[in-house]
Amino acid sequence: MNAAEVVNDLLVQRFGVAKADIRFETPLRKLKMDSLALEELRVLIEVQLDIDLDEVALTSRDTVGALVSAVDGKVAA
Amino acid sequence: MTARQQPFSAAVTGLGLVTAAGVGAKAAWHTITHDCAPGGVSRPDELMDLPCDFMYTVGDLDPAEVLGVATQRLMDRFSQFAVIAAREAVADAGLEPETWDSARVAVVIGSAHGGVSFYDEQHTTMLQRGARRVSPKLAPLSVINSAASSVCTDLGVHGPSFGVATACSSGAVAVGTAHQLLRAGVCDIAIAGGAESTIARLLVASACQMKAVSTRRDKPSAACRPFDVERDGFVVGEGAGLLVLERPEHARARGATVRAQVSGYGASSDAYAAVAPDPDGTGIERALRTALADAEVAPGDVGYVNAHGTSTVVNDLIEAMMLERVLGDHLLVSSTKAMTGHTLGAAGGIETALTVLALEHQLVPPTANLEVPDHRIPLDLVRQEARPARFDCAVKTSLGFGGHNAALVLTRG
Repeated sequence: MNAAEVVNDLLVQRFGVAKADIRFETPLRKLKMDSLALEELRVLIEVQLDIDLDEVALTSRDTVGALVSAVDGKVAA
Repeated sequence: MTARQQPFSAAVTGLGLVTAAGVGAKAAWHTITHDCAPGGVSRPDELMDLPCDFMYTVGDLDPAEVLGVATQRLMDRFSQFAVIAAREAVADAGLEPETWDSARVAVVIGSAHGGVSFYDEQHTTMLQRGARRVSPKLAPLSVINSAASSVCTDLGVHGPSFGVATACSSGAVAVGTAHQLLRAGVCDIAIAGGAESTIARLLVASACQMKAVSTRRDKPSAACRPFDVERDGFVVGEGAGLLVLERPEHARARGATVRAQVSGYGASSDAYAAVAPDPDGTGIERALRTALADAEVAPGDVGYVNAHGTSTVVNDLIEAMMLERVLGDHLLVSSTKAMTGHTLGAAGGIETALTVLALEHQLVPPTANLEVPDHRIPLDLVRQEARPARFDCAVKTSLGFGGHNAALVLTRG
Protein backbone atom coordinates (compact mmCIF):
# COMPACT_ATOMS: atom_id res chain seq x y z
CA MET A 1 0.00 0.00 0.00
CA ASN A 2 1.44 3.38 -0.93
CA ALA A 3 1.43 6.55 1.17
CA ALA A 4 -1.63 8.05 -0.53
CA GLU A 5 -3.66 4.91 0.05
CA VAL A 6 -2.64 4.71 3.71
CA VAL A 7 -3.50 8.37 4.35
CA ASN A 8 -6.81 8.11 2.49
CA ASP A 9 -7.87 4.92 4.27
CA LEU A 10 -7.01 6.31 7.70
CA LEU A 11 -8.91 9.54 7.01
CA VAL A 12 -11.99 7.55 6.02
CA GLN A 13 -11.85 4.74 8.55
CA ARG A 14 -10.49 6.46 11.64
CA PHE A 15 -11.67 10.04 11.21
CA GLY A 16 -14.95 9.57 9.36
CA VAL A 17 -13.95 11.76 6.40
CA ALA A 18 -16.05 11.19 3.27
CA LYS A 19 -13.92 9.60 0.56
CA ALA A 20 -15.29 11.97 -2.09
CA ASP A 21 -14.02 14.98 -0.09
CA ILE A 22 -10.38 13.82 -0.17
CA ARG A 23 -8.36 15.53 -2.93
CA PHE A 24 -4.66 16.27 -3.08
CA GLU A 25 -5.28 20.01 -3.07
CA THR A 26 -7.73 19.98 -0.14
CA PRO A 27 -6.42 21.63 3.06
CA LEU A 28 -6.65 19.25 6.01
CA ARG A 29 -8.72 21.73 8.00
CA LYS A 30 -11.48 21.45 5.39
CA LEU A 31 -11.71 17.79 6.36
CA LYS A 32 -12.16 18.90 10.01
CA MET A 33 -8.68 17.64 10.85
CA ASP A 34 -7.65 19.91 13.72
CA SER A 35 -4.29 19.85 15.51
CA LEU A 36 -5.31 17.01 17.83
CA ALA A 37 -6.58 14.93 14.91
CA LEU A 38 -3.33 15.52 13.00
CA GLU A 39 -1.22 14.34 15.94
CA GLU A 40 -3.40 11.25 16.16
CA LEU A 41 -3.06 10.69 12.42
CA ARG A 42 0.72 11.06 12.70
CA VAL A 43 0.89 8.16 15.19
CA LEU A 44 -1.44 5.99 13.10
CA ILE A 45 0.66 6.50 9.95
CA GLU A 46 3.87 5.78 11.87
CA VAL A 47 2.45 2.50 13.20
CA GLN A 48 1.06 1.39 9.87
CA LEU A 49 4.15 2.15 7.79
CA ASP A 50 6.72 1.69 10.55
CA ILE A 51 8.27 5.10 9.92
CA ASP A 52 9.16 8.12 12.05
CA LEU A 53 7.37 11.38 11.28
CA ASP A 54 8.59 13.17 14.40
CA GLU A 55 10.41 15.82 12.42
CA VAL A 56 7.60 16.45 9.95
CA ALA A 57 5.79 19.71 10.68
CA LEU A 58 2.04 19.23 10.30
CA THR A 59 -0.62 21.93 10.39
CA SER A 60 -4.23 21.89 9.34
CA ARG A 61 -3.38 24.47 6.66
CA ASP A 62 -1.34 21.80 4.85
CA THR A 63 -3.02 19.94 2.01
CA VAL A 64 -3.61 16.21 1.76
CA GLY A 65 -1.04 16.20 -1.04
CA ALA A 66 1.62 17.85 1.14
CA LEU A 67 1.04 15.26 3.85
CA VAL A 68 1.28 12.39 1.37
CA SER A 69 4.54 13.83 -0.03
CA ALA A 70 6.01 14.12 3.47
CA VAL A 71 5.08 10.51 4.22
CA ASP A 72 6.47 9.41 0.85
CA GLY A 73 9.75 11.15 1.66
CA LYS A 74 10.07 9.19 4.88
CA VAL A 75 9.08 5.90 3.25
CA ALA A 76 11.73 6.41 0.55
CA ALA A 77 14.33 7.34 3.15
CA MET B 1 -27.73 25.65 62.37
CA THR B 2 -29.85 24.56 59.45
CA ALA B 3 -30.69 26.93 56.63
CA ARG B 4 -34.08 25.73 55.42
CA GLN B 5 -35.15 26.43 51.89
CA GLN B 6 -38.56 26.40 50.31
CA PRO B 7 -39.34 22.93 48.95
CA PHE B 8 -38.57 22.63 45.26
CA SER B 9 -39.71 19.93 42.87
CA ALA B 10 -37.84 19.62 39.60
CA ALA B 11 -39.94 18.13 36.80
CA VAL B 12 -38.57 14.98 35.19
CA THR B 13 -39.59 15.25 31.55
CA GLY B 14 -37.23 12.87 29.78
CA LEU B 15 -35.25 9.66 30.33
CA GLY B 16 -32.38 8.01 28.49
CA LEU B 17 -30.91 4.61 29.32
CA VAL B 18 -28.05 2.53 27.99
CA THR B 19 -27.77 -0.65 30.07
CA ALA B 20 -26.86 -4.30 29.91
CA ALA B 21 -30.59 -4.94 30.36
CA GLY B 22 -31.45 -2.98 27.24
CA VAL B 23 -30.72 0.16 25.26
CA GLY B 24 -33.46 2.75 25.55
CA ALA B 25 -35.65 3.37 28.59
CA LYS B 26 -38.55 1.36 27.20
CA ALA B 27 -36.47 -1.73 26.42
CA ALA B 28 -34.55 -1.60 29.70
CA TRP B 29 -37.71 -1.19 31.78
CA HIS B 30 -39.40 -4.09 29.99
CA THR B 31 -36.43 -6.40 30.57
CA ILE B 32 -35.99 -5.39 34.21
CA THR B 33 -39.66 -5.88 35.05
CA HIS B 34 -40.34 -8.99 32.92
CA ASP B 35 -37.18 -11.10 32.85
CA CYS B 36 -36.42 -13.03 35.97
CA ALA B 37 -32.82 -13.76 35.06
CA PRO B 38 -30.09 -11.38 33.90
CA GLY B 39 -29.04 -11.77 30.28
CA GLY B 40 -26.36 -9.09 30.11
CA VAL B 41 -23.37 -10.86 31.67
CA SER B 42 -20.39 -11.58 29.43
CA ARG B 43 -16.72 -12.52 29.65
CA PRO B 44 -14.69 -9.76 27.95
CA ASP B 45 -11.21 -10.69 26.69
CA GLU B 46 -9.77 -7.89 28.83
CA LEU B 47 -10.72 -9.78 32.01
CA MET B 48 -9.39 -13.18 30.90
CA ASP B 49 -8.16 -15.40 33.76
CA LEU B 50 -8.92 -12.89 36.51
CA PRO B 51 -10.67 -14.26 39.64
CA CYS B 52 -13.66 -12.26 38.42
CA ASP B 53 -13.57 -12.55 34.62
CA PHE B 54 -17.15 -11.45 33.94
CA MET B 55 -19.21 -8.27 33.95
CA TYR B 56 -22.47 -6.81 32.66
CA THR B 57 -21.91 -5.33 29.20
CA VAL B 58 -24.09 -3.42 26.76
CA GLY B 59 -24.53 -5.84 23.89
CA ASP B 60 -27.04 -4.46 21.42
CA LEU B 61 -25.27 -1.25 20.57
CA ASP B 62 -22.57 -0.19 18.12
CA PRO B 63 -21.62 3.37 19.16
CA ALA B 64 -19.64 3.93 15.94
CA GLU B 65 -22.75 3.08 13.93
CA VAL B 66 -25.02 5.31 16.02
CA LEU B 67 -22.67 8.28 16.41
CA GLY B 68 -20.53 8.05 13.28
CA VAL B 69 -16.75 7.69 13.30
CA ALA B 70 -15.99 11.43 13.37
CA THR B 71 -18.04 11.95 16.56
CA GLN B 72 -17.25 8.65 18.25
CA ARG B 73 -13.44 8.99 17.94
CA LEU B 74 -13.36 11.88 20.40
CA MET B 75 -14.96 9.87 23.22
CA ASP B 76 -14.17 6.83 25.29
CA ARG B 77 -17.02 4.36 25.68
CA PHE B 78 -18.56 5.96 28.80
CA SER B 79 -18.92 9.29 26.99
CA GLN B 80 -20.41 7.56 23.95
CA PHE B 81 -23.04 6.01 26.24
CA ALA B 82 -23.72 9.43 27.77
CA VAL B 83 -24.28 11.04 24.37
CA ILE B 84 -26.60 8.24 23.23
CA ALA B 85 -28.59 8.43 26.50
CA ALA B 86 -28.72 12.24 26.32
CA ARG B 87 -30.10 12.19 22.78
CA GLU B 88 -32.82 9.80 23.93
CA ALA B 89 -33.66 11.81 27.06
CA VAL B 90 -33.89 15.11 25.18
CA ALA B 91 -36.07 13.61 22.43
CA ASP B 92 -38.22 11.93 25.08
CA ALA B 93 -38.72 15.32 26.74
CA GLY B 94 -39.87 16.77 23.43
CA LEU B 95 -37.07 19.35 23.51
CA GLU B 96 -35.46 20.64 20.34
CA PRO B 97 -31.79 21.59 20.62
CA GLU B 98 -32.21 23.73 17.48
CA THR B 99 -34.62 26.08 19.24
CA TRP B 100 -34.02 25.89 23.01
CA ASP B 101 -32.28 28.69 24.89
CA SER B 102 -29.01 26.79 25.00
CA ALA B 103 -27.36 29.05 27.60
CA ARG B 104 -30.11 28.06 30.06
CA VAL B 105 -29.38 24.33 29.73
CA ALA B 106 -26.96 22.61 32.13
CA VAL B 107 -25.27 19.20 31.93
CA VAL B 108 -24.16 17.35 35.07
CA ILE B 109 -22.89 13.80 34.60
CA GLY B 110 -21.33 11.57 37.22
CA SER B 111 -18.67 8.95 36.61
CA ALA B 112 -16.33 7.18 38.98
CA HIS B 113 -13.55 6.24 36.59
CA GLY B 114 -14.07 8.20 33.38
CA GLY B 115 -12.08 6.86 30.45
CA VAL B 116 -10.16 4.25 32.43
CA SER B 117 -10.55 1.73 29.59
CA PHE B 118 -8.69 3.99 27.16
CA TYR B 119 -6.18 4.86 29.88
CA ASP B 120 -5.47 1.18 30.53
CA GLU B 121 -5.18 0.43 26.80
CA GLN B 122 -2.77 3.31 26.22
CA HIS B 123 -0.65 2.39 29.21
CA THR B 124 -0.27 -1.08 27.71
CA THR B 125 0.71 0.54 24.40
CA MET B 126 3.41 2.59 26.11
CA LEU B 127 4.87 -0.41 27.92
CA GLN B 128 4.85 -2.63 24.85
CA ARG B 129 5.66 -0.18 22.06
CA GLY B 130 7.12 2.90 23.69
CA ALA B 131 6.10 6.47 24.43
CA ARG B 132 6.12 7.48 20.75
CA ARG B 133 3.20 5.16 20.02
CA VAL B 134 0.90 6.62 22.67
CA SER B 135 -2.25 8.39 21.46
CA PRO B 136 -2.39 12.18 21.94
CA LYS B 137 -6.02 11.80 23.06
CA LEU B 138 -5.40 10.37 26.54
CA ALA B 139 -6.30 13.49 28.55
CA PRO B 140 -9.40 14.58 26.62
CA LEU B 141 -10.84 11.06 26.50
CA SER B 142 -10.05 9.95 30.04
CA VAL B 143 -11.03 12.96 32.14
CA ILE B 144 -14.22 12.36 34.09
CA ASN B 145 -15.84 15.53 32.74
CA SER B 146 -15.57 14.31 29.14
CA ALA B 147 -19.05 12.73 29.27
CA ALA B 148 -20.51 16.14 30.13
CA SER B 149 -18.46 18.01 27.54
CA SER B 150 -19.29 15.43 24.85
CA VAL B 151 -23.01 15.86 25.52
CA CYS B 152 -22.66 19.66 25.36
CA THR B 153 -20.84 19.46 22.03
CA ASP B 154 -23.30 16.96 20.60
CA LEU B 155 -26.46 18.84 21.60
CA GLY B 156 -25.13 22.40 21.46
CA VAL B 157 -25.55 23.10 25.18
CA HIS B 158 -24.00 26.42 26.29
CA GLY B 159 -24.97 26.58 29.97
CA PRO B 160 -22.88 25.33 32.90
CA SER B 161 -21.59 21.75 32.65
CA PHE B 162 -19.33 19.54 34.69
CA GLY B 163 -18.55 16.02 35.81
CA VAL B 164 -19.30 14.73 39.28
CA ALA B 165 -16.93 12.25 40.91
CA THR B 166 -18.08 10.64 44.16
CA ALA B 167 -17.34 7.03 43.18
CA CYS B 168 -20.47 4.87 43.13
CA SER B 169 -22.80 7.67 44.21
CA SER B 170 -21.69 9.96 41.35
CA GLY B 171 -24.89 9.54 39.33
CA ALA B 172 -27.16 10.29 42.29
CA VAL B 173 -25.03 13.27 43.34
CA ALA B 174 -25.24 14.56 39.76
CA VAL B 175 -29.05 14.41 39.82
CA GLY B 176 -29.10 16.07 43.24
CA THR B 177 -26.71 18.77 42.08
CA ALA B 178 -28.91 19.42 39.03
CA HIS B 179 -31.88 19.77 41.40
CA GLN B 180 -29.93 22.44 43.29
CA LEU B 181 -28.90 24.28 40.10
CA LEU B 182 -32.54 24.40 38.97
CA ARG B 183 -33.69 25.53 42.40
CA ALA B 184 -31.07 28.31 42.38
CA GLY B 185 -32.32 29.47 38.97
CA VAL B 186 -28.96 28.87 37.33
CA CYS B 187 -30.67 27.04 34.46
CA ASP B 188 -34.15 26.09 33.23
CA ILE B 189 -33.21 22.63 31.97
CA ALA B 190 -30.62 20.18 33.31
CA ILE B 191 -29.48 16.93 31.73
CA ALA B 192 -28.19 14.87 34.64
CA GLY B 193 -27.22 11.36 35.65
CA GLY B 194 -24.25 9.06 35.26
CA ALA B 195 -22.13 7.20 32.72
CA GLU B 196 -19.52 4.48 33.16
CA SER B 197 -17.64 1.84 31.20
CA THR B 198 -14.72 0.15 32.85
CA ILE B 199 -13.82 -2.78 30.64
CA ALA B 200 -10.31 -2.33 32.01
CA ARG B 201 -8.13 -5.20 33.14
CA LEU B 202 -6.15 -3.04 35.54
CA LEU B 203 -9.19 -1.82 37.45
CA VAL B 204 -10.94 -5.19 37.68
CA ALA B 205 -7.68 -6.91 38.69
CA SER B 206 -7.43 -4.49 41.59
CA ALA B 207 -11.10 -4.96 42.54
CA CYS B 208 -10.38 -8.70 42.70
CA GLN B 209 -7.43 -8.07 45.01
CA MET B 210 -9.73 -5.97 47.19
CA LYS B 211 -12.10 -8.98 47.44
CA ALA B 212 -14.96 -6.64 46.61
CA VAL B 213 -16.26 -8.43 43.52
CA SER B 214 -18.04 -11.74 43.22
CA THR B 215 -15.93 -14.71 42.20
CA ARG B 216 -18.84 -16.94 41.21
CA ARG B 217 -17.17 -17.88 37.93
CA ASP B 218 -19.14 -21.08 37.54
CA LYS B 219 -22.40 -19.13 37.24
CA PRO B 220 -21.75 -15.45 36.45
CA SER B 221 -25.39 -14.58 35.74
CA ALA B 222 -26.27 -15.62 39.30
CA ALA B 223 -23.32 -13.80 40.89
CA CYS B 224 -24.98 -10.46 41.58
CA ARG B 225 -27.68 -11.33 44.15
CA PRO B 226 -28.51 -8.32 46.33
CA PHE B 227 -29.77 -9.07 49.86
CA ASP B 228 -29.43 -12.84 49.29
CA VAL B 229 -27.77 -15.04 51.95
CA GLU B 230 -25.37 -16.37 49.31
CA ARG B 231 -24.17 -12.97 48.03
CA ASP B 232 -20.40 -12.68 47.76
CA GLY B 233 -19.64 -9.33 46.15
CA PHE B 234 -20.69 -6.98 43.40
CA VAL B 235 -20.40 -7.48 39.64
CA VAL B 236 -19.23 -4.55 37.54
CA GLY B 237 -21.54 -3.23 34.86
CA GLU B 238 -21.37 -0.52 32.19
CA GLY B 239 -24.00 1.91 31.02
CA ALA B 240 -25.50 5.36 31.28
CA GLY B 241 -28.68 6.79 32.73
CA LEU B 242 -29.69 10.40 32.20
CA LEU B 243 -32.73 12.47 33.10
CA VAL B 244 -33.99 15.73 31.72
CA LEU B 245 -34.98 17.89 34.68
CA GLU B 246 -36.71 21.23 34.36
CA ARG B 247 -37.86 24.08 36.52
CA PRO B 248 -41.57 23.28 37.00
CA GLU B 249 -42.81 26.51 35.41
CA HIS B 250 -40.58 25.89 32.39
CA ALA B 251 -42.04 22.42 31.89
CA ARG B 252 -45.56 23.77 32.43
CA ALA B 253 -45.15 26.64 29.99
CA ARG B 254 -44.26 24.34 27.15
CA GLY B 255 -46.91 21.77 28.05
CA ALA B 256 -44.39 18.99 28.73
CA THR B 257 -45.46 15.71 30.27
CA VAL B 258 -44.08 15.53 33.80
CA ARG B 259 -43.17 11.91 34.41
CA ALA B 260 -42.17 12.39 38.04
CA GLN B 261 -40.52 15.00 40.22
CA VAL B 262 -37.23 15.16 42.06
CA SER B 263 -38.45 16.73 45.29
CA GLY B 264 -35.61 16.31 47.73
CA TYR B 265 -31.90 15.66 47.90
CA GLY B 266 -29.50 14.90 50.71
CA ALA B 267 -25.77 14.22 50.65
CA SER B 268 -23.33 13.37 53.41
CA SER B 269 -19.84 12.06 54.06
CA ASP B 270 -18.93 9.16 56.35
CA ALA B 271 -15.49 10.51 57.29
CA TYR B 272 -14.78 6.89 58.13
CA ALA B 273 -12.83 4.78 55.62
CA ALA B 274 -11.52 4.66 52.05
CA VAL B 275 -13.72 1.74 51.06
CA ALA B 276 -15.89 0.39 53.88
CA PRO B 277 -19.10 2.21 54.70
CA ASP B 278 -19.71 3.43 58.23
CA PRO B 279 -20.73 0.16 59.95
CA ASP B 280 -23.69 1.82 61.65
CA GLY B 281 -24.93 3.38 58.42
CA THR B 282 -25.02 6.80 60.04
CA GLY B 283 -23.67 8.50 56.91
CA ILE B 284 -26.34 7.23 54.52
CA GLU B 285 -28.94 7.75 57.27
CA ARG B 286 -27.96 11.42 57.48
CA ALA B 287 -28.27 11.80 53.69
CA LEU B 288 -31.70 10.15 53.67
CA ARG B 289 -33.06 12.21 56.58
CA THR B 290 -31.80 15.38 54.89
CA ALA B 291 -33.49 14.40 51.61
CA LEU B 292 -36.80 13.65 53.37
CA ALA B 293 -36.68 16.99 55.19
CA ASP B 294 -35.76 18.78 51.96
CA ALA B 295 -38.84 17.32 50.28
CA GLU B 296 -41.01 17.78 53.41
CA VAL B 297 -41.92 14.12 53.19
CA ALA B 298 -42.59 11.89 56.20
CA PRO B 299 -41.08 8.38 56.39
CA GLY B 300 -44.56 6.89 56.18
CA ASP B 301 -45.14 8.56 52.80
CA VAL B 302 -42.38 6.59 51.10
CA GLY B 303 -43.75 3.57 49.25
CA TYR B 304 -40.69 2.29 47.42
CA VAL B 305 -36.92 2.42 47.77
CA ASN B 306 -34.64 1.59 44.87
CA ALA B 307 -31.73 0.59 47.07
CA HIS B 308 -28.02 0.81 46.37
CA GLY B 309 -28.08 -2.97 47.04
CA THR B 310 -24.73 -3.90 45.51
CA SER B 311 -24.67 -7.56 46.56
CA THR B 312 -21.69 -7.10 48.85
CA VAL B 313 -22.09 -8.70 52.27
CA VAL B 314 -21.50 -5.45 54.13
CA ASN B 315 -23.36 -2.87 52.02
CA ASP B 316 -26.62 -4.73 51.77
CA LEU B 317 -26.91 -5.36 55.49
CA ILE B 318 -25.92 -1.86 56.59
CA GLU B 319 -28.18 -0.23 54.02
CA ALA B 320 -31.16 -2.45 54.81
CA MET B 321 -30.89 -1.89 58.57
CA MET B 322 -30.68 1.86 57.95
CA LEU B 323 -33.76 1.83 55.68
CA GLU B 324 -35.80 0.01 58.30
CA ARG B 325 -34.57 2.36 61.03
CA VAL B 326 -35.42 5.55 59.12
CA LEU B 327 -38.44 4.57 57.05
CA GLY B 328 -39.99 1.60 58.87
CA ASP B 329 -40.99 -1.75 57.41
CA HIS B 330 -44.19 -0.78 55.55
CA LEU B 331 -42.49 -0.02 52.25
CA LEU B 332 -41.25 -2.05 49.31
CA VAL B 333 -37.54 -2.31 48.59
CA SER B 334 -35.62 -3.71 45.63
CA SER B 335 -32.24 -3.50 43.96
CA THR B 336 -32.09 -3.53 40.17
CA LYS B 337 -28.34 -4.19 40.06
CA ALA B 338 -28.74 -7.91 39.34
CA MET B 339 -30.14 -6.87 35.94
CA THR B 340 -27.74 -4.01 35.13
CA GLY B 341 -24.64 -4.89 37.14
CA HIS B 342 -23.06 -2.36 39.44
CA THR B 343 -22.46 0.43 36.97
CA LEU B 344 -20.45 2.41 39.55
CA GLY B 345 -20.71 6.10 38.72
CA ALA B 346 -23.63 5.48 36.35
CA ALA B 347 -25.65 3.54 38.93
CA GLY B 348 -27.36 6.54 40.53
CA GLY B 349 -28.41 7.88 37.12
CA ILE B 350 -29.72 4.56 35.81
CA GLU B 351 -31.51 3.73 39.05
CA THR B 352 -33.08 7.19 39.45
CA ALA B 353 -34.48 6.77 35.93
CA LEU B 354 -35.83 3.33 36.93
CA THR B 355 -37.39 4.89 40.04
CA VAL B 356 -39.14 7.44 37.82
CA LEU B 357 -40.50 4.56 35.73
CA ALA B 358 -41.61 2.71 38.88
CA LEU B 359 -43.59 5.78 40.02
CA GLU B 360 -45.04 6.27 36.58
CA HIS B 361 -46.09 2.63 36.10
CA GLN B 362 -46.90 2.07 39.80
CA LEU B 363 -44.83 -1.06 39.52
CA VAL B 364 -41.86 -2.11 41.65
CA PRO B 365 -39.10 -3.89 39.70
CA PRO B 366 -37.95 -7.13 41.33
CA THR B 367 -34.54 -7.96 42.76
CA ALA B 368 -33.35 -10.61 40.31
CA ASN B 369 -31.37 -13.54 41.72
CA LEU B 370 -32.71 -12.92 45.25
CA GLU B 371 -33.68 -16.44 46.25
CA VAL B 372 -33.21 -16.61 50.01
CA PRO B 373 -33.25 -13.18 51.66
CA ASP B 374 -30.69 -12.60 54.40
CA HIS B 375 -32.76 -13.36 57.52
CA ARG B 376 -31.25 -10.38 59.34
CA ILE B 377 -32.94 -7.97 56.91
CA PRO B 378 -36.32 -6.75 58.22
CA LEU B 379 -37.69 -5.41 54.92
CA ASP B 380 -40.29 -6.35 52.32
CA LEU B 381 -37.87 -7.14 49.50
CA VAL B 382 -39.53 -7.44 46.11
CA ARG B 383 -38.18 -10.48 44.27
CA GLN B 384 -39.12 -13.09 41.66
CA GLU B 385 -41.50 -10.77 39.82
CA ALA B 386 -42.44 -7.11 39.56
CA ARG B 387 -45.07 -6.07 42.08
CA PRO B 388 -47.85 -3.56 41.32
CA ALA B 389 -48.32 -1.09 44.17
CA ARG B 390 -49.83 2.30 44.96
CA PHE B 391 -47.24 4.86 45.97
CA ASP B 392 -46.78 8.58 45.48
CA CYS B 393 -43.26 8.84 46.81
CA ALA B 394 -40.07 6.84 46.25
CA VAL B 395 -36.47 7.05 47.38
CA LYS B 396 -33.18 6.34 45.65
CA THR B 397 -30.11 5.73 47.82
CA SER B 398 -26.47 5.61 46.70
CA LEU B 399 -23.21 5.05 48.57
CA GLY B 400 -19.72 5.57 47.17
CA PHE B 401 -16.20 4.47 48.08
CA GLY B 402 -14.73 7.21 50.23
CA GLY B 403 -17.97 7.53 52.19
CA HIS B 404 -19.92 9.70 49.75
CA ASN B 405 -23.63 9.15 50.42
CA ALA B 406 -26.61 10.49 48.53
CA ALA B 407 -30.38 10.14 48.73
CA LEU B 408 -33.06 11.44 46.39
CA VAL B 409 -36.77 11.74 47.10
CA LEU B 410 -38.98 11.41 44.03
CA THR B 411 -42.70 12.06 43.81
CA ARG B 412 -45.36 11.34 41.20
CA GLY B 413 -45.71 13.81 38.36
